[in-house]
Amino acid sequence: MTKNQAKLIFLLPAVIWVLVFTVFPLGYSLVISFHNLESKVEVTRTKVPVLDDDGNPVLTRSGNPRTRTVVERESVSTWTFMGGKNFSRIFNDNQAGTSARVTVIFVLAAVSIQLVLGMGLAVLFNRRLPARGLLRSVMILPIFATPIAVGYLFFTIFFENGGPLSWTGIPWLSQANWALFSVILVDVWQWTPFAFLVFLAALQGIDEEQLDAARLETSSERKIFWYIVLPALQPVIIIVLLLRLAEAIKLFDIPFALTGGGPGIATQSYTFFAFRTGLRFFDVGYASAMSYVLLIVVMIIVTLFFTRLRRSYA
Amino acid sequence: MEKHRQFTMKDTIYSVVAIFAALVFFFPIYWAASTSLRNPIDTFTVSGVGVPFLDFEPTLNNWANQLSTPETQQALINSTIISTAATLLALLVGLPAAYALARYRYQRIKNKDLTVWFLSQRVLPPIATVVPFFLVMRTLGLLDTHLALILINATFILPFVVVILRQTFVELPYELEEAAMVDGATFFQAFRKVALPLALPSVVATGLIIFAFAWNEFLFAITISSQRAITIPVHMAGAVDTRGVQFWFMAVRALIAMVPPVVIALLAQRYIVRGLTLGAVKG
Repeated sequence: MTKNQAKLIFLLPAVIWVLVFTVFPLGYSLVISFHNLESKVEVTRTKVPVLDDDGNPVLTRSGNPRTRTVVERESVSTWTFMGGKNFSRIFNDNQAGTSARVTVIFVLAAVSIQLVLGMGLAVLFNRRLPARGLLRSVMILPIFATPIAVGYLFFTIFFENGGPLSWTGIPWLSQANWALFSVILVDVWQWTPFAFLVFLAALQGIDEEQLDAARLETSSERKIFWYIVLPALQPVIIIVLLLRLAEAIKLFDIPFALTGGGPGIATQSYTFFAFRTGLRFFDVGYASAMSYVLLIVVMIIVTLFFTRLRRSYA
Repeated sequence: MEKHRQFTMKDTIYSVVAIFAALVFFFPIYWAASTSLRNPIDTFTVSGVGVPFLDFEPTLNNWANQLSTPETQQALINSTIISTAATLLALLVGLPAAYALARYRYQRIKNKDLTVWFLSQRVLPPIATVVPFFLVMRTLGLLDTHLALILINATFILPFVVVILRQTFVELPYELEEAAMVDGATFFQAFRKVALPLALPSVVATGLIIFAFAWNEFLFAITISSQRAITIPVHMAGAVDTRGVQFWFMAVRALIAMVPPVVIALLAQRYIVRGLTLGAVKG
């Protein structure tokens, strides 16, 4: 085996895997998005003569052959080419508009809170603390908690008649704006620890000597944070921001479990709406078109960060 | 951070704030545990933060009840099979690629671009592939099978394997492999017998992290499974629909779902930062 052969054999399985299970579905989805798929069950009824054991037709009392009806069901899918209609439909669809708005509000609010709060906590935990390791471990727990379970768990916490937060009198899940706020809060609970953890790791990697030198110049911890620490953390902040943006825009599990998209459609995220359209109402053409629009938005976000990203994997 | 210094008033205040923050983040998990130990009658009447023995008489009935239902057991088995198989499959396919991207130089497409191409699979919104995947699986008659969910989960976690472990191999010294190859080892042996054992801790940690991702996956699981292949998250969602709001059971189920990935998070703690940032930030 030459080195060139080895190079290919090592890499090829993974490349083929992605082509088969990601690139092919995406291509298929693009085709679907220009079509309307109608699945119908066609029922045909045919009368067939009833035969006796010897194969002769059985006659009725009046002398005619006795018949029975055979019912055949066949599911037929018809594809109709729609051109760009599925795509233009998105922009005239109020429900799609609402779900896009819900998602944008969610992403902006949740991600910015996670970054700011995560940074604050990281700075706090970078100080001298009793049992720092234990506290840090506790903070890690939410990250890996099953999102669906987290959604249902917070359903019990936000329960308005006797839940642990019912004393506030806030309509956590029953009023549209509060429900969206609650969804944001749950995501903040789950993902602030991620930002916190990454920032803490980055803070501990900052050169101590540089900080000591700065401390000779100024006694203001705030100035040191703004002029030394924050610029040093910039690459890490951007990576966390990108990862959180890309992840938050997929929002599905938490509203599915916590609110079911309600009240009404107040917390129905874009993915949630596309899921319902494609896999509950089987309007797969429209759902694929919606997914593609989301895909393009994500690609734009990623491209904005692409140069930075490429540098960190160099 | 200054060491060998008196614990000042300021330190004390910051410590209190930090402990309070940790308690806030811990509270929901504590609340699930507390609710899971309550008799139905105590669920909404408990005062304060519901400390077992103090505020109510705890019971293990809910746990016994839930763990003995065949549906829960089946879902646990399904989730274990699917997550384990998907993890092993992703490692099998992804490890050689990770190694190759670290060790060899590709000409036509640069290594950097190949890596970012794998990485971009992770950023992709899963809703974009769920509809075609569903239609293909329906055509193949694979709806509600373990196989379909194993394949899709392996697809999701493959980029983690490639990108994170590429970084691991980059950081390993190449000299040992070169020496082995001088002694007659093939490229494959250099990978399997020299590099892989050195990378093992990182491989195990990555395996744990991707297992947790597969365990938590919901969108594809609820699309593909309807009965036989139901995973723990789908089981949770279904139970609420059919049984209404029974918080004591809900809490048990939430904990059954959450405990394996949370334990994994604690085990792989040292690798989490690297794992979740796909190797971009070293923890």
